[in-house]
Amino acid sequence: MARYALVIDSRRCIGCHSCTVACRVHNDLPIDMIYNPVTTVGPTGVFPNVHMVHIPLLCMHCANPPCVDACPSAASQQRPDGIVWVDEKKCVGCKACVMACPYGARIPNHEKGTVQKCDFCKERIDEGLRPHCVETCHQKARIFGDLDDENSEVYKLVHGEHSIRLLKELGTDPYVFYIYGWEV
Amino acid sequence: MKHKEEGWGWMLAVDFFFAGMGGGMLLIAGIADFLLGEGNTSVLGNFLGAFCIAIGACFLILELGRPLQAWRVFMNPRAILTFGAWTMTIAIGAGLIYASFGLKMLPWSDWVILRKLMALGCIVTGLIVATYPGVLLGRHKSRPFWNGPGMIVLFLFSSLVTGGAAHILSAAILPAYYPGGLSGLPLMVALLLGFQLIFWVGYLWVKISGTTEREAKAARKWLKGNFSGKFIYGFLLIGTLLPLVLLLFPGTGVIALGAFLALLGGLLMRLLVVYSGEDRTWLPGEECYRARLPLGTEEFLKAWNTK
Repeated sequence: MARYALVIDSRRCIGCHSCTVACRVHNDLPIDMIYNPVTTVGPTGVFPNVHMVHIPLLCMHCANPPCVDACPSAASQQRPDGIVWVDEKKCVGCKACVMACPYGARIPNHEKGTVQKCDFCKERIDEGLRPHCVETCHQKARIFGDLDDENSEVYKLVHGEHSIRLLKELGTDPYVFYIYGWEV
Repeated sequence: MKHKEEGWGWMLAVDFFFAGMGGGMLLIAGIADFLLGEGNTSVLGNFLGAFCIAIGACFLILELGRPLQAWRVFMNPRAILTFGAWTMTIAIGAGLIYASFGLKMLPWSDWVILRKLMALGCIVTGLIVATYPGVLLGRHKSRPFWNGPGMIVLFLFSSLVTGGAAHILSAAILPAYYPGGLSGLPLMVALLLGFQLIFWVGYLWVKISGTTEREAKAARKWLKGNFSGKFIYGFLLIGTLLPLVLLLFPGTGVIALGAFLALLGGLLMRLLVVYSGEDRTWLPGEECYRARLPLGTEEFLKAWNTK
């Protein structure tokens, strides 16, 4: 069984928000919902040593997802391949998962009364395709693949580069990895 | 920075208030039955305990995005909300059955063993209902003000205070069969208010001085930020210190006023605590990013949504 992960190489990200737009268009999200924001840190430093980094955020598809444990209706689920998703039919919109998620990755849909999130475009993955955000990133800053496959690019990046995970001290064991050019 | 709020709202705080007060009332009624015997708490108060939990459950349902699907919250045994929902349901049942023993026209009103069993049920479920919001909030790792076991103590004390205050007000409307049995209840509530005050001071002190910077930042809001006025003047002075003093004076009217203010303090505390959960541990650049997002009240968004 695969264990899907995403590596974000922030050295390549130019903050164009193409991933944000692609995600919203393909998932048909309301105007005020974003699964996939891109934040900016900086510019910092003094000329000529000035730095700025763009950090795409999304669901971390944690190995220990607090959102799944918090969900009283069992709508939040995790597949064996690690993808965390929401069964909309079961979701009651209690927002327990919104409060439990340390990454702000869950967004209430006020029209439907449910909570939604990035699911790595699981229907595409089941067809052997890549998520829309990965497909659309022209800088190839997003690398998606199977972390259990030693020949995959994500495996090599995670084990070879200096990759970090956000808020790993919380013990959620996120499966989105970041490669920074400098310390944020 | 102001940003769009996507978390729990005031209805959950009102749920915590009513459920906590009801749980505290059941707990006090059950303990009074075991220590002093039947008829020491007002029948009105015994019924109100169960009704308050039911009112709290109604607010919890209204808070849901899909209220008609509320039955689904009973479905995940791993979730603490599911545990709370089941406990509240059992507490309502145990509370109503226990309160019915005060209606002497009912044929089971002299079944002592069943009454004692229901009193035990009220103690256990009342204690859990009174405490569980603290457990629910304290487990949120990324909510710096909530995280930790301190919330459990704060919610337990507040539930006992509001439960005791509600029993005082109920007894003022419909006295118990043996009103002398719980004559010391105002003093007990005053003592609990004193303990609550000490715990709040200690909680904020520890959060500000003995934890991470993000927890200190969240706690400083309560003393110098946008929560400070409501917390210091509303909760500490009007909702805690003033009722503490009033409950020490003799006279039904003064004590009832003190009990009422203690209830207001309990409600305000829960509102402030729930809203303090907006403070999340931010990711790099996230707070700035979210502050730039529309709040949903902008003209262009209204125009877009009505297209």
